[in-house]
Parts: sequence; structure tokens; C-alpha cells
Amino acid sequence: MWQFIVRRLLISVPVLALVSLMSFAVIWLVPGDPAAVFLDAGATPQQLAQVRHQLGLDEPFHLQMLAWYGRILHGDLGRSILLNRSVAAAIVERLPVTLSLTALALAFAVAMGIVAGLLAAMRHGGWADQSIMVLALVGLSVPEFWFGLMLIFAFAVRLHWFPAGNFVPINVSFAGWWQSMALPAFTLAAVQMGFIARMTRSAMLEVLHQDFIRTADAKGLPWSVVVARHGLPNALVPILTVIGIVTGGLLGGAVVVEQVFSLPGVGRLVIGAVLSRDFPVIQGTLLFVAVIYLLINLTVDVLYAVVDPRVRLE
Amino acid sequence: MSSTAPPIESVTWFGAALRLTVPALRRLMHNRSFVIGAALVLFVALIAIFADLLAPYDPLRSNFRARFVAPNGEHWFGTDHFGRDLLSRVIYGGRISLSIGFFVVVVTGVAGTTIGALAGYFRRLDNPLMRLMDALMAFPAILLAIVISAVLGASVVNVVIALSIATSPHTARIVRGSVLVVREMEYVEAGRALGASDLRLLFGHVLINALAPLIVRLTYVFAIAILAEAVLSYIGVGPPPPTPTFGNIIAGERDFLETAPWTTIFPGLAIVISVLGLNLLGDGLRDVLDPRMKL
Amino acid sequence: MAHLTRRRLLQAGTAGVAASAAGVPLAASAQTATPKRGGTVTVALVQAPPSLDAQLTSAQVARDINLHMYETLYARDENAGVVPDLAQGAEVSKDGTTYVFALRPGVKFHNGKTMDSKDVVASLERFRKIGLASILLSGVDRMEASGPLEVTVRLKKVQSNFLDTLSSPGTPLAIYPAEEAAKDPKDFKFIGTGPMKFVEYAPDSHATLERFADYVPNPNYTRRDGFAGRKEMFIDRAIFRFMPESGARTAAIKTGEVLINETTDGPTAKQLAGDPNVQVLKLLPFALQIAKFNHSQAPCDDVNFRRAVTACINAEETMEIAFPDIHKLDGGLVYGYSPYYTKAGTELYNQNNQAKAKEFLAKSKYKGETLTFIVDNTRPPTDTATDLKEQLGQIGIKIDIKVADWPTISTLGFKPEGWHFWTHGLGIEPYEGPAKLMSIWANGISQTKDDPNIDKLYADLLAELDMEKRKAIFAQFQQYMYDNAVVIPLGNYGMFQVVSSKVRNFAPYRIPRLWGTWLEA
Repeated sequence: MWQFIVRRLLISVPVLALVSLMSFAVIWLVPGDPAAVFLDAGATPQQLAQVRHQLGLDEPFHLQMLAWYGRILHGDLGRSILLNRSVAAAIVERLPVTLSLTALALAFAVAMGIVAGLLAAMRHGGWADQSIMVLALVGLSVPEFWFGLMLIFAFAVRLHWFPAGNFVPINVSFAGWWQSMALPAFTLAAVQMGFIARMTRSAMLEVLHQDFIRTADAKGLPWSVVVARHGLPNALVPILTVIGIVTGGLLGGAVVVEQVFSLPGVGRLVIGAVLSRDFPVIQGTLLFVAVIYLLINLTVDVLYAVVDPRVRLE
Repeated sequence: MSSTAPPIESVTWFGAALRLTVPALRRLMHNRSFVIGAALVLFVALIAIFADLLAPYDPLRSNFRARFVAPNGEHWFGTDHFGRDLLSRVIYGGRISLSIGFFVVVVTGVAGTTIGALAGYFRRLDNPLMRLMDALMAFPAILLAIVISAVLGASVVNVVIALSIATSPHTARIVRGSVLVVREMEYVEAGRALGASDLRLLFGHVLINALAPLIVRLTYVFAIAILAEAVLSYIGVGPPPPTPTFGNIIAGERDFLETAPWTTIFPGLAIVISVLGLNLLGDGLRDVLDPRMKL
Repeated sequence: MAHLTRRRLLQAGTAGVAASAAGVPLAASAQTATPKRGGTVTVALVQAPPSLDAQLTSAQVARDINLHMYETLYARDENAGVVPDLAQGAEVSKDGTTYVFALRPGVKFHNGKTMDSKDVVASLERFRKIGLASILLSGVDRMEASGPLEVTVRLKKVQSNFLDTLSSPGTPLAIYPAEEAAKDPKDFKFIGTGPMKFVEYAPDSHATLERFADYVPNPNYTRRDGFAGRKEMFIDRAIFRFMPESGARTAAIKTGEVLINETTDGPTAKQLAGDPNVQVLKLLPFALQIAKFNHSQAPCDDVNFRRAVTACINAEETMEIAFPDIHKLDGGLVYGYSPYYTKAGTELYNQNNQAKAKEFLAKSKYKGETLTFIVDNTRPPTDTATDLKEQLGQIGIKIDIKVADWPTISTLGFKPEGWHFWTHGLGIEPYEGPAKLMSIWANGISQTKDDPNIDKLYADLLAELDMEKRKAIFAQFQQYMYDNAVVIPLGNYGMFQVVSSKVRNFAPYRIPRLWGTWLEA
């Protein structure tokens, strides 16, 4: 097992090198540069050149690349052109938003997914099973941003139940945070819970057909006790694995959902940076996101290996 | 469970395809997911193909005196802020969105299969190719697609390229996995001993084994591509107007969500129906062709 | 100093005040109520500002916040007239090259320091060195602190728009404390003299300002007036929230999370008009929508082709689609309230004449090739391009629309290749007046090809100190622009602003001004 983990970590080194190169090089491929964002439509090319010079954008490729690698190897992601702070500070500021959004969405998705999956497995073949499975699949077929817009329309614009896009940090007010996070987290969870529900159902079905469950059942224990005490724990490992995968999906979805609900998270940071060409932020956040993603993938791989030893042979 | 794996002694393209298809087809016809999914996909595809005949109006023709008409007998889906008929736009939008999905499937199929097969079959290529795929997979796919689309500039072709780059690595990984399993099998060894060339073995025998998971994966890729096109349009890096796609109809009308909600609701439902059909189709195919995959 | 003749520039200021009294009925009618102090106003802005250092950006959204924090020597009144703000006034030498500014005494910076001439010189020098529009001061020979509250500026030659420049809200020549001006811009502390001071900036979320307790409203004025006048703060705190999603802004104003929504679309405005909790206000004109030709590229280098296009265009349709219910069909290149406003050439505006267009097209070198129309990816410009494509398609001009984000499009739009048409709004230029507006086409900047006629008119304007003659030059310029179809003016558009009924005495202006407004419980 340890050997497998170490080998996966070693593989990550060249991957990281490639990822950092891609993160850096992307700015040389994008047309347009951040100078334009400082300017109104009536600006002159001279002004553009002046801003570019002030921002150091007119230096040659290799110098900028050397400077960048020099910095990131010291843990310095550089300084944002537009945000008046370091890239690291910008990420750290927004991380709580994205993390709390992801965490809340994951909590929703796990709670709804497991309950729905259990219900479906226990009523296997019945109408509850079928409608849950259809709903789960519909969830997987809905574009997150569109679903978010529909929720804003229904719950914020028409019913006024929730605010739309007034983010409140959790340390300022829990109620405010909950109000501002409930809709976006639900948007994300509604899409991703489908995976968990489906996995829970199939894992449970497999477990419930095994002998010890039949025995427990035969002993006259109530069915709910059988499921809770004997069924679920045995189905937990595949469910945990799928939760790992879903976490990755939630992070990807958060990029878009933060946009819809005007949440100041890492996703909005990176999209905003791409659209305004804030190069240091593009590079820094891409690298940061990639490292987080690599870690999640690694965890999932390890979980897989725990569940299914054949994987390790690969 | 293993009943679906093709018998490998007599593998040729034709024979394998036949053995894979005939019983599989029979079982597919009894799979409810597959049947409903296929019906939905066929429905959507036919509408896209016969858009010229079905659309009641020209999707580009604006009429600024008939803007924001709510759905009625004349305009089933209402009109948008140009006064264009929304039903016609959704019908034509489907044509472009499904085409984007189709071409992403083709490009991903070719690229993913080639990369996966090369990596799986030739040991020396494995490491560099798969590390490159790992690097691409280190970014959330949608983020990767947004960045590439911003780099290339917004157009239908560039959206196809961006989405193909985002979906190929995973496909390559799946193909490689299947190839790895077969590569060491006896009949391949035997073929090698008999002097068959690597490429012939690879394409003649090894890849057949990867066909089932590949088909399943590509069905999902189709669904992912339709969803992702909409996201790219929403972010502002999708196909440019006036050509409608599911995504850029929503993106172009989203300022009017409160006052003309139908302009956002209908194209969104069109996406849901198309993607739901593809997902059902994928589930059905997976149940029959590749039951080991659980998700 | 003795050879200076007095020219009372304050005069312009008084005129401006008188004019604005008529211009702002809303402010006048609310004047009867007694203002209340205190409270927090949350303002929804569409975007985040690129910088809170006023000298370093010309972005509209930055002005929304920055002009609450910083002030300039001269500023613009309600109708864009030039009036003193931090200056008491100026004396100009007879030859028009020396300006002696008397500074207003007792003006405090947010750090507690009192403003003097050293701060002014340091700020202007900073602007000259690193200011975004440093070219604005390129005509300055030297500046000096000629007294504790006196600054003398010598120009290289006569520059009739010098005070226009000093008072420009575009890239404001904001006055900072000398020690802040000396710092590396990275370490600048956002300290100005304005009625609000900086509290915090949370990127992509909000910026917070609070009332500057030591602010002394300009005693030379009695009322709010454009960016100048009497800036009295009643509100304690302002939070500017950055909310790109229009539905979210509307929801926020309905629930009361936000008290001022900078802009909403026509249909939503109509729907909100019946809501007793909000007031829907019109800010029109806000900008002039234009479609540019790239004169370096065939067939746009051909005047007959350009005339064909301008003859064909139905501006009414385009404006109604792109800016529903909030546009004005006006072919003037400066706003209607400007003293320079003229109808010269405007019979060629909004022609909608396909027959004439086809005639010109037949004479032109256009041969049916597909032309590129570039536009940024926000809705109104994209709609403008889409509708123009449709209209020009009817006379056989084929167009491909290329949409990208603003950085891509604006960088491309300065280049002589890669595009034929480009549409965008001009907000501040028609407001600032002829010199600023003409500078867009001077030296071939916007059309990517020098036009000696325009350059000559521009030089004449800068050298002319007599206002009537300047008006004549500008009319000549506008006539020339239409006759030669240099650009396609499409008309003025505005913004619907939505304000909670709790907010009193708010008057729409180029920025959501918070001074002079108060909150009623």
C-alpha cells in the first residue's frame, strides 16, 4: 500500500512540472492583456503601451518565465495587477468562500444522496426507487448555471426567500452566511447528489443480497435496524470513493456557480482573471487549483486502491 | 458479469463487432434506460436534422415590434429581445449544440483512442503520454475548456477544440487501461510470435477490447459537451451570435430573466432533455456492454 | 507676476451653478425635507474597479467609487462646465500660457493633514510621470509651488483645453498628499480630500467607504452640482458591491440588501416602476454608441463604401434592441446639454435608406467579401453588432461577428488589421466636450489611419481661446465626420437606476453620487 502511495507521489513530480509550465505559458497564448482593463473605450495605443510598460508586460518571454519560476520556487505566486494585493493573499481571502461552498454542497449532496440511495435500495424496483433514480439522473443532466438562474428567479426574485448574491462571511454572521450560501450550495448539490445516490443504491443492493443480511433479517430485527447497523457500514467504502470523486466535481462546478451567485470565491477569481487578463492571478490560481486537484485525485486513487486491490497492480 | 467480454480466440474486426453487437443489441432492446434514452436522443437529433422543415420562423429574423412576446399559439416559446421566434432559435440552436457534441465525440474518440492505445501498447510512450494527460486532468475540465476557449477565441470550431482537449485525457486513460489488460494475453503474444506487426495487432485485436468502455464513455462525452458548451457561452467564450446554440440563447437573454423568463427556461429545458437522453443511453449501454463500471 | 491680467475663471463656475439648478428638478423638489444623518448605503455595481488609485485608471466603474474619495483642482458641474473645486480659481496670463492657481484654504486630507501647494505639485508631477493619461499634461512646461496656497503652471504653448483637462473625471488628476504621491504606487494608501474615505477593499466582493468627518464642503457653492459644488455627506458608510448578474442586482434591491442599483434593463425597470419601495430613475444620456470603421482595411478605406453603410443604417431599430426604452436618437457627437452641441451634418444620421445605400455600394470597391465585426462580450454591444449585421445583410454586405472579452477586443481594435467594424459606447468623451471627443480621431487613433483634415481641426481647436470660434470649429468637425462617414454614430443610451425609497434626494448622474443624499427610516 505505502509503496503504491509513494509511487503515485513520485509520478506527481513530472506532472507538477508540466502543470506549472502550462500555467505559465497560457498567458503567452491569450490575446489581449490586462492593460486594456485600466482603460476606457476612448483610450489611445500610447496609453496602452504606457500601462503595459508599467506592468512589466513588455519584457521578453524567457525573462518573465525565469522570474516566475524563481518566485514560485520560493513559494511566492507574485502580485495581482488589478487587485492591489499578492496572488497568495487573493487566494487565501477567497478560499473560505469556495471551501465553505464546497463543504456545504458536499454535506447536502451526501445527506440527500445517501438517504435517496438507501430509500431506493430498500424499495428496490418499486415506484420510490424508480422516481428517485429518474430524479438523480435528471439532476446529472441539468446545467448548473441554468439551474442556479432558475433558483434565483424562483426563490430570490419572486419569493424573496433568499438574497441573491450578497455574500456574508461565516465569522460575521452565521445566519447571513447560511442565507447567502443555501441556494448556491443546493445548486451544486442537486447536480452531484445523483452520483452518490446511484452509488449508494448499487452498493447497498450488493450488500443486502449477502447472507449475513438475510440472517439478520431472519432473526426478526426491524428492517431499518438491519440496514443501518449491518447494511450501510458494509457499503461505505464505495460510497466514500464516490464522495471523493464528487468533491472534485463540486470544485469544478463551484467555478461556475460562484459566477452565477456573485460569490467572491477562487472560481470567480480565476474566471475574472482570465477575462481581465490579470496574468499573475491566472498563473497563480491555475497552479493552485491544479495542486489541489492533484491532491484530490491522489486521494481518490488511493481510496480506489484500498477498495479494489487489483488497481495497485497497474 | 463477464458474459459481455468478447470471446478472444477468433478476434477480427468484423467477427468481434458481430459477436459484440448481435446479442448486445438484443439485450439493449430490453434495457429500459437504453430504449427511453435512444428515443429521446433520436427525437432531439431528428429535430436538429430537420430544423429547416420544423422551425416555424427564420431564427435570425428580428422584428423589433414584436419583442418579448410571451408564449402563445403563434410563438409557442414566445419571442426574445430581438423579436425572434424562440422555438425556431431553440430548434436551430439544437442543430449547432448537437453538432458541437458530435464533433467533440469524434475528436475525443480519435485522440483519446490513439493516445490511450499508444500509451498502453508501447511501454516507452506510456510515461510521457500519460503524464501529459495527468497534467491536463489536473485542472477541472470546465476551467480548462474556459481557458482554452479564451486563448483560441470564441467560435464553434474553437469550442470543439477546447472541449476535446478537456475530455480526451480521461478517455485516453480508459482506453489505455483496457489495452493494458489485453496486451499480455496469449493470443496477442501468439500473434506477435507469428510475425504480426505491432500496429496490426494493436488495431486488429487489442483495441476491440477497449470498444465497449469507449462507446460508453463517448456517450457521456456527448452529454458533457452539450452542458459545457452552454457554460462556455454563459461565461462569454462560446460560439458568437447571431448563430443560436442552446448556450448562447440563454447567455444572450439572461438580462431578461425577471421579465421574460421563457427566454431562459425553454433553451435550458432543451439542454436537460438532450443531456438526459444521452445519459440514459449511456447508462443502458453501460449496463449491457460494460457492467463492471458502476458510475 | 505683475504682467498677468486677471481673467476670472470663477465666472464659468457661477454660470454652471445657474444652469444646473434647472437641470436637476429632482434635487430641487426634495430640498424641502430636512436631511437626516447616519446610516449605511449599499450600492450594486456591475463590475469591480481595476484600481482605487484614481490617477491610474479610466474605467467607468473605478470613477463610481474614486470620485467619492478624491478631488481635483477643477471639476465639472452638472452640465460638464468647468468650475473650481480644490482651487479657488486661476489667473491666466494674456498669452494664455501661464496659470496661477489659488488653492482653497483649510482643505483636509483623510490622514488629517491640510492640503497645500506642495501636495498639488507632487500630485500633478506624479500624474505626469505615471498617470494613465499623462499625455494630458504633456503640454506643461513646468509647475511650481509659488506660495503656500498658490501653484503656478507654465505651458509650452497655448492649450485651450487645459482646464478641461485638469477637471477631467475620465482619469482624474486627483490631488494626493505629497508623501503618498512620492510612494511607489503599490504602497499608495488611497488618501484623498473627498467627502468619503477609504475603509476596505475586498476584491470581487465589495469596497467600503465612510464619511470623512473633517470634510469641509466647498463654501463657494450652495448646492450639489455635477462632480463639483457642495458635497455634503449625510450617510455614514457606503458599501459598493460588485454584482455582475443583473437578476441578482434586482433581487437584492427588492429585498433591501442593496439600496442603489447602478443599472438595470428596460423591461425590469418597467416592472419595478409599480413597486412602492423603489424609485426608478433615468440617466440619459449616459453614453454615445458608435460603430467604428477601420480605415486601413479595404473596403472601409473607401468613402463610398462607408457612405453606403451609413445610408443603410436604421439606428432607431438598433438602439431599441440594444438599449430598450433607454435611448435617445441624437446624432450630435457631444451631449445635448453641452454648449458645443450642434446639429451640423446630422441629416446624415439614422438615414435608413436602402436605395441610396445600394447606389453607394455599387460605386464602392466592395466585392461581396465577408467583413469582420469585432465586439466585446457584453450584451448591448453584442446586440448592436448582431442587428447591424442583419441590416447590412439586407443590402448584400456580409459580416462575421467576432466576440471576445474586452481585453482582447480593445487590443485588437487599436491594430490596423484584423477588423472592419467595431462598436462600443463612448461615455465620458461626449461629456467632456469637443477637445476630448476630437482627440479620439486625431492622429488616426480610432480609424487607424491619419486624417490630416481632422488633425488640422483638432490643432485649431487647441490653439483657439475664443469659445465662439471653438464652437464653429467643432461644428465643422462634426460636419466632416458625417460627410465622410468617418464613423457611424448610433445615438445616446442611458441607464435605468433603481433606488430604494429610503434613499432621499438622490439624483442620477455619471456616478451614483452619495453626497447630498440621506436615508429615511
